[in-house]
This record gives sequence, C-alpha cells and structure tokens, in this order.
Amino acid sequence: MSIAIEPQGPIAAPPPPEPDPVPVNYLNNGYSIWSWLFTVDHKRIGILYLVSISVFFLAGGIAAGIVRLNLLQPDGAIVTEDAYNRAFTAHGVMMLFFFLIPAVPAVFGNFFIPMMIGAKDLAFPKLNLASWYVFMLGAILAIWSVLAGGIDTGWTLYPPYSTRASQSHVIPGVVGVFISGFSSIMTGLNIMVTIHKMRAPGMTWGRLPLFVWALYATSLIQLLATPVVAITLLLIVVERMMGIGIFDPTIGGDPILFQHMFWFYSHPAVYIMILPGMGVISEVLTCFSRKNIFGYHAVAWSSVGIAVVGFLLWAHHMFVAGISFYAALLFSLLSMLVAVPSAIKVFNWTATLYRGSITFHAPMLFALGFVVLFIIGGLTGLFLATLGTDIHLHDTYFVVAHFHFVMVGGMVMGYFAGLHYWWPKMTGRMYSDWWSRLAAIIIIVGFFLTFIPQFYIGYHGMPRRYPNYPHEFQIFNVMSTAGASILGIGYLMPVVYLTLSLFYGKKASANPWSATGLEWQCPSPPSVHNFEKTPVVVCGPYEYAIGVDQMGRGLPEPPGVDDNPARRSGITGPAGPMNKETEVVG
Amino acid sequence: MAEPNTATANDDPHGIRQDVDNPATLILVFVVLIGLALANIGISGAMGPTKLTLPLQLAIASVQAGLVAYYFMHLRQGDKVVILTALSSLFWMGILFVLFLADYLTRHMVVG
Amino acid sequence: MSASTHSSVLKHHFEDLGQQHACERLGMWMFLATEILFFGGLFGAYAMYRIWYPHEFELASSHLNRTLATINTIFLITSSLTMTLAIRSAKLGQRGALIGNLLITVALATAFMVVKGFEYAEDFHEQLVPGPGFGTHYHQEAISKGLDPAKIQLFLCFYYVMTGIHGIHILVGIGCILWLAWEAWRGTIPPENYSTVEVVSLYWHLVDAIWLFLMPLLYLAGAGMKH
Repeated sequence: MSIAIEPQGPIAAPPPPEPDPVPVNYLNNGYSIWSWLFTVDHKRIGILYLVSISVFFLAGGIAAGIVRLNLLQPDGAIVTEDAYNRAFTAHGVMMLFFFLIPAVPAVFGNFFIPMMIGAKDLAFPKLNLASWYVFMLGAILAIWSVLAGGIDTGWTLYPPYSTRASQSHVIPGVVGVFISGFSSIMTGLNIMVTIHKMRAPGMTWGRLPLFVWALYATSLIQLLATPVVAITLLLIVVERMMGIGIFDPTIGGDPILFQHMFWFYSHPAVYIMILPGMGVISEVLTCFSRKNIFGYHAVAWSSVGIAVVGFLLWAHHMFVAGISFYAALLFSLLSMLVAVPSAIKVFNWTATLYRGSITFHAPMLFALGFVVLFIIGGLTGLFLATLGTDIHLHDTYFVVAHFHFVMVGGMVMGYFAGLHYWWPKMTGRMYSDWWSRLAAIIIIVGFFLTFIPQFYIGYHGMPRRYPNYPHEFQIFNVMSTAGASILGIGYLMPVVYLTLSLFYGKKASANPWSATGLEWQCPSPPSVHNFEKTPVVVCGPYEYAIGVDQMGRGLPEPPGVDDNPARRSGITGPAGPMNKETEVVG
Repeated sequence: MAEPNTATANDDPHGIRQDVDNPATLILVFVVLIGLALANIGISGAMGPTKLTLPLQLAIASVQAGLVAYYFMHLRQGDKVVILTALSSLFWMGILFVLFLADYLTRHMVVG
Repeated sequence: MSASTHSSVLKHHFEDLGQQHACERLGMWMFLATEILFFGGLFGAYAMYRIWYPHEFELASSHLNRTLATINTIFLITSSLTMTLAIRSAKLGQRGALIGNLLITVALATAFMVVKGFEYAEDFHEQLVPGPGFGTHYHQEAISKGLDPAKIQLFLCFYYVMTGIHGIHILVGIGCILWLAWEAWRGTIPPENYSTVEVVSLYWHLVDAIWLFLMPLLYLAGAGMKH
C-alpha cells in the first residue's frame, strides 16, 4: 500500500517500485522487548497502556463476577461475607483507578492527541514513559494487596474503619492508588501542555477535534483534583501507621473531613472517566452520520463546563453522612447544575444524527449505546442529586445502577467505540465487521438486563454492599447475574476477534471510515514521527458535508450501509466525492 | 506558540539574554522578603493571638508569596497560559475552601 | 522537521527552542498547580479545625520553637535568591557562577534540614508529640486553661505532617539541584538549556512559598502567648 501523505515538493529521485511492501511504522520499528519497555514513542506507550488496562479490566471483571455470583442466593452463594467485602472492594479499586481513569486518556489520549493536533509527539515523551512505569508500580502494589488477602473497606476507604478497625491490607492498596495518581497527573500534564503548545499551523482552538477538547477538560481535572486525593490517602496511611491522625475522632478529628477531601477528587474523577468517552462519541457520531457536529462550540465548552462545575458538587455523596443541612441544600442545588452541560452534549449529538447518512458499524453501535445509556444514567443521577429522594435512595442498588449506567454504559461504551473506531489506525488491520456488530448488540442487551433490575430493587430498599438480602429480591438478582454473564461474554468477544484481526485481518487503508481528522492522514499504522512534514490545517474538524479533511483534501468514499470496510481499497487521495480541492476556510 | 527570534546579535541567536534578571532588583526583593518575614514574626509576638492576628499574618505571607512568584518565579515575563495556570490553582483552592466552609461553618446550626 | 540552526539542546519533537522552553516552563507550572492543590488539601483541613478549635491550636503552637523557625525562614528565602541568580548565570553562560549559586542553594537547603532535625529532636525530647508519648505537662496545662488536651494533639498531627511533607519536598529539591550542579559541571547546561535550571528553580521557589505560609499557620499562631 502507498503512504497516505504524498510529498508535496518535487521528488528527489524516482523511488524503486515498492521493493519493501511494508513501510517503516511505529510497530515494525524494532521488535525487541527493550524497544517497547524503553520506548518514548507516544504510540507505543499508548499500546503499553492498552495491554495493561485490559488486564486490569479482566481482573476487575473477575471480581465483579464473584460479587454477582454470590448474590444469586439471598444468603450468599459462593463466598463468605468477609470475602464478599474484599471482592467488591477489589472490583471498585481495579475498575476505577486502574481501568476507567487511565482507559481513554492514557490509551487514546496518548496515542491520538499528538496525531490529531499535528505534532510529532507529546511535549514530554520521557515523562510519558515514566507515567506508565509509575502506573504499573501502583497497580502491582494494589494487586499484591488484593492477592495477599484483599481490602474490605470498599473503594472509598472511609475512616475510622479504614484507619482503625479494618484488619485487611489497607496500606499497600492505598499506597498503590496514591502512586498511580501520579501517573494520572503526568498524563494529564503532558496532554495539557501538548494541546497548548504543540498544535500544527492553522490548528486553532476552534478547529480542534472535540476529542481534544474533551481530553483538555479531563486533564484539567486530573491536574487539579488528583493532588487533593493524594494528600488525603497519604493522611490515611499516616493515621493507620501511627495510630493517630487528623481524622481520628478521639482527638477531635472529623471523619467527615476525609469524605470531603476524598470526594473533592472522587466526584470530579467520574468526569475524568466520562469526559473522554464523550469526546470519542463526538468523533464517532459525526463520522458515521457523515455530518458536521451540531453546535461545535457548545459541545466544546460544555466539556470545560463539566470539568469546572464538576468540582462544585462533591458533597452529594455525603447527604446522610452528617454534613450540615444547609451545605446539603447548597450541594443539592449545585448538583443540578452539571445536568446542563451534560444535556447540551446529548442534545447536540442527537441533532447531529438528525438527517445524517447513518451507517451502523461497530463504533457507531457502541456510540449510540453510549448516548442511550448515558441519558438513563444521567437522568437517574438527578434523582440522587435531589436531597429528599437521595435520603430514600442513598446507599441502595439504585445508586449502583445509576453509576454503572454512567460508568459502564457511558465510559466503557465510549472506550469500546474508540477502540473499534481507531483499531485500524493503531494496528493497521481490520477486525471482523459482523462479529464486532454482534458484540456491540450483545453488550448493550446484557447491560440492560444487568442493571435495570438493580434500579427496581434499589428503589425498594436493597442496600448496596450487603451480601444478604430478603427473598423477595432474589428473582431480580438472578436476572442481574444472568445479564452480567451476557455482558461478560460480550466483553470477551472483542478480545477474540480483535486479537484474531492482528493475524488474519485485512490490511486497513489509511482512512477506512473516511474520517476527517488529522490522525487519518497518517498511514495505518502510523509512521514513527506521525507526519512526514508538519501538516497545515485549513478547516474545522468535521467537514463531512463538504467532503474534505482538515488539510482541505478530499475524502475517500465512505463505507456504505452494507459495505464491509475491510473489503474496500480506500486510498486517501486528492479527489473526494465532490472532487473539491482545497478551497476551504474554516 | 513559538516566539520569533527577534534578537539579531550573533552571540544570542535564541533571544535568551533578553530577559536576564537585574541582580539589584533581585536583592531588593530579597531584602523586602526578609523584612516582611521578620515583621510578621515581630508583629505576631507583639499582638498575641487576637482575631486580627491570623488575617494579618496571612496577608503578609501572601504578599511574600506574591513577590516570590512575580520576581523569582518570573511571572513578570510569563506568558498568559502560565499566569492562567497559577491563577487557576488558586481559584480551585478557593473552591475547596469555600465549599468546605459551607459545611463547617453551618454544621452545628439547628434546622428549624 | 527543520534541522536548521539549532543546537543539540533541541529535542526532536519540538519545532524550535522557543517552543521547547515554553513547554518546559508551562509543564512545571502545571505541576506546581498540582503541588498547590496537594498542600491546599492540608491547608483546607487545617483551616476547618482551626475554626473549630482556635484556642487549642494557639496554645499548642506556642510551644513550638520560633527561633529555629525564624532561622529556617531566612535560610529558605536566601536560597531562593541564589537559585534565581543561578538562572541568570545560566543565561549568561557563566558556568562557574552557575555551579557556585547552585551549591550555595544546596548548602542553605541542607542547613534548613539540619535545623529542622534539631527542632524535631527537641520536640521529641519535650514529649511534644501526639499519641501515647504526649507529655502529661501539656495535658495538665490545657486542662488548667479550660481547653481540651486531645485537640492539642490534633494540632501536633498537623505540625508533623505539614513540616514532614515540606521536608520531603526540600530533600527532593536538594537532589534536583545537585543533579543540576553535576550537569553544569559536565557542561551540558549551555545558555540555550537555561530552562532546565529555571524549571528546577520554579519548584524550589514553590517550596519556599509554602514555607512562608507554614510559618504563620504553625509557628506564629500562638506567638506572644504567656504560659
């Protein structure tokens, strides 16, 4: 295949007619283990993260499986109460700190931010590699604490239980989370500096893809929230080791202060998790409906709005914890505010779909699943933000269902949408179109079956984190476990067909989805320095209607409704569907 | 956001020496910082713990930190994004303080 | 990539030195923003307890050694000055002055830590520690003033955590500045690479600025109090 970017200048010497059919790219540029472990290439580091977080996703999934299987029977089906506590804590810690937080920023952010803005690499390549090592160090500590017997405090680690009473391995687990926080800060810092300082000529803020805007907002939260939880976790470790500390009620300390400091990070952290997913969705929806995004500036600024407003509402996790009544009223009101930018996004996505020329390839199915599930998750969030209803619903399965709708239905869907959207670019191979669509449908069905019953039993009073429950709830728990099994199969399917695609998949063209972003102007897989020469951006990120990419060149024919993109030759060339050359000013 | 190399002198092709600090300024700032530190200690000792002591102490410390940031940390010549970064860290700390206070100042009020 | 006039200092993924310097400076400032929030969490916690227990905090603070703290303040401010002078030396290409300024900074920082060590030793000797080792005379003194001795210990928790974390930052700073001095001695910090010095100096100044707030919050809260 040919390289996507044709050299613009006069060709110095006529190249021999393709003696080497595989051009040098970031994947075949060295095969030794050291070429991966000591790489400073943002793309390889993205792959390192992809492999690591997949392992942690599997580990967290196994813990979730233990929890769900145990809930098959009202008195606990397979493990003791104590082991149950450790299983759900392991599930929470692994999924939140070692999968959801790094998932999109550290994998796709690392891989695609430089390519999307036309840079050769992130601003600090060595820091980027260091962030992976720090992440792995933290993860290994946390996993060691799980394997050595686990933590039984819940992922929220509330004192005084976590500092005095708990007999489990709190310290290594907390230190692991503390260390991995630095990796999150490093990634966020790197991405933020890169977006500020490394954009290609013509890549103004108004032409940045919305994924970049979303990652910018995410990095803002990572930078400003993570240090607060770092000091909080440090204080927990100190208090547990010394036997005395500032959350200790026996010396006048206030355990609720821990909750304030913890949620000052951990509530914005849910926006660290969901915002990158929203960025992916903006890319995928526009591409597969062949339309410009509706309300670019509204979507871009709503990302920043969510990032800022997300800091103002943490105490809605603490309405029944003993905070002041007036503060609870204030936080209830502020919590409603974040519905505004979230709704702006959903309305704009829906409007983008309107009269679009939609094709239902796997990324699009995941993206549509995201929108539906996020709407349900978001709206049930309003129930919980309302002070009065929260007192009824607090710490029930309603809350569990709500945040799984947002985190799994939202973020994990967004992650899979991104994985399927960018997989051809990352690996140079097309995966099975049929199997990927099937997996998307299975995941969505399994998800509904898992979590819709939890709304019901939660509303009727089944508390979260309890291993036992009244017999009346059993049928719903069985439904939920059955759904979780389907969901598990759905998540394992991509592992199979994506892995198979590496060996048997058709070679991907540079731009199989006929997308407009700069990342599709690199070959698949990208060359080591991404671009032969620094690209010059001439228009906005989603000019699908005109049919030009951000460099003003024509797009290849988009994949049709029944078209398998793997069968297409699809070479990016100067002539698009409208045969329009570069006369676009955005 | 590359700055154009405006320096034309051959010995300074990258414009590095345009922003060299004046040692006299630095030493003046240093003397003021030491003076404020000693003043803070002296005034605190003379006043003892009153309601005004803490605000005054923090005001002096803020002036000191501002001088350090402006002259020693070169906010004076920093670009806008750097200033924005510095200010946003203070803004977010403000969020933390204000919303903490929303709870702690009203915690013991009786609803009624 | 423009392989133009630039020196070997320029890293491959930057267009020019201006971009590289701007990225490094901005990156360090963003890290400082995280540091400010890191200490901000501690300051926030301190503020809430100080509002709740003002008199206990003042009484506890009055037992700390203000003389040593004053000496340490002077050490740190002076080290900030020499660190800034080091940037100037780097920009002007004065290698000897650069190394000299860096080493003076390290010496002042080390002196700070030594004084801090003596101070901790004195505190331990006087049983000014929270927990089981808390001195009974502080206990009785608080009760005689109608205050809760438990909250004296709460203040001491803050004292040790805040000065301890600050001390760790000082140690990290000493390591970074020594590394800079080593690099300068090897001759790898030409004027085009001055931003390496500047980046470390930004960190150092922040550590200094944090101390300027720790001083009133910890040492001066109980200044002028009669025992």
